[in-house]
Amino acid sequence: MSQPHQPNDNSSNDSTHFGYQTVKTEEKESKVAGVFHSVAQQYDIMNDLMSMGIHRLWKRFTIDASGVRPGNKVLDIAGGTGDLTAKFSKLVGREGKVILADINSSMLDVGRTKLRDKGLVQNIDYVQANAEYLPFEDNTFDIVTIAFGLRNVTNKERALASMYRVLKPGGRLLVLEFSKPEHEIINKLYDFYSFSVLPKMGELVAKDGDSYKYLAESIRMHPDQETLKSMMEEAGFEHTSYKNLTDGIVALHKGYKF
Amino acid sequence: MYQQILCSLIEKIANGVVNKAEIDRSVLASLEQKTLSLELRELGFPICCSVNEQRFVITGVVERSDCTISTDIKSLKLLQKEQQLTELIRQEQLDIKGDIKVAQQFAQLAESFNFDWGKELSNHIGDVPAYKVEQLQIWLKSKFSFAQQQIKSDASEWLVHEKNLLVTLPELAVFSEQVQSVKADLADLEQRIATLLADHQADEDIK
Repeated sequence: MSQPHQPNDNSSNDSTHFGYQTVKTEEKESKVAGVFHSVAQQYDIMNDLMSMGIHRLWKRFTIDASGVRPGNKVLDIAGGTGDLTAKFSKLVGREGKVILADINSSMLDVGRTKLRDKGLVQNIDYVQANAEYLPFEDNTFDIVTIAFGLRNVTNKERALASMYRVLKPGGRLLVLEFSKPEHEIINKLYDFYSFSVLPKMGELVAKDGDSYKYLAESIRMHPDQETLKSMMEEAGFEHTSYKNLTDGIVALHKGYKF
Repeated sequence: MYQQILCSLIEKIANGVVNKAEIDRSVLASLEQKTLSLELRELGFPICCSVNEQRFVITGVVERSDCTISTDIKSLKLLQKEQQLTELIRQEQLDIKGDIKVAQQFAQLAESFNFDWGKELSNHIGDVPAYKVEQLQIWLKSKFSFAQQQIKSDASEWLVHEKNLLVTLPELAVFSEQVQSVKADLADLEQRIATLLADHQADEDIK
């Protein structure tokens, strides 16, 4: 069983993580963009393969926890191929609005095509945006979600503050992201799967093993459940909580703006 | 995540049926953006059914519900009989919150489903296998029905036999009399043994 490499934890203000590598802060964005330009076309197939379809249940859980109502305005950051947007679009109805935002144009293109093919056109807008500098007025959205996107953001604190700013008072943020498994045995199996199986699967299906190696590394570098909860509180969110899914492989964090 | 698994399955089946069945589209249209929540006590979580663009969306989002029905699986079957609704509510087996018309429209929609399972199955596996499956289903149904009847009659027979084992008052009186009789015989026997032992002791003393 191959062991994951030890992360190089010497990031400073000028540098940040890109998987286990330390890169200059200004480089991370373009490097992440490179990964997602590369995987965009195969993103959905790979998601299904990698998670054995469970990512659909995690996303359903997020929708169920959102408390969305008809007429709500929802911002789906790093919305990628639009899984959450599709569901939200049906639940907010014609009076509501869903904004699918992603920093990556390739992902946004794939998402737009997919949703239009599904006939979802009436209440969805597409915006290419950086989560750190959301191009929306203050107090605009009832719900902001970011699913499997926060770990790719260069400055997470700034992104959380930006999400807080665009939320209406009473609105809520839902962060669905890979996290730390609760049990050591699951952690070990997960490591084996992430560092031995996943890159090979990526190589075989998406012809891009490196991008999936980055995926595994970026998950390990992402803050654990309690740390992310604290970060949300520092950004101003209240009543913050999280729910571990599949033994903590994924966690759904929730916080309110009052 | 059982809730999400169940909702996902129900959504897939419901939309599959809507695509293929003959249903009353006007009822479906009237339910646009309406939500019915079902809270079954056995499940412990709600199942919310919304209609969007003539398709069902099944979630656990209760916040948008127009009508919420809280009941159990057993009472759910009785909901079709309108005359029993009041009785079920009185017995606290059923609780309805919100617009009951929404629930009635969903029920009306369910009743309007005219889905030919046999035809749909034959499209996938062919006419002959579909016919065989149908025959198997009829055979299984009759077997289950027979087994159910058999179990019922066996159970009632067992109860009758069991009843015979219960002690009645006259039987108890006879038993008590017999016990008294045995007691008397035993006392008599003890007396005789005591006499014999006394005689034997006297003989021994003479010797």
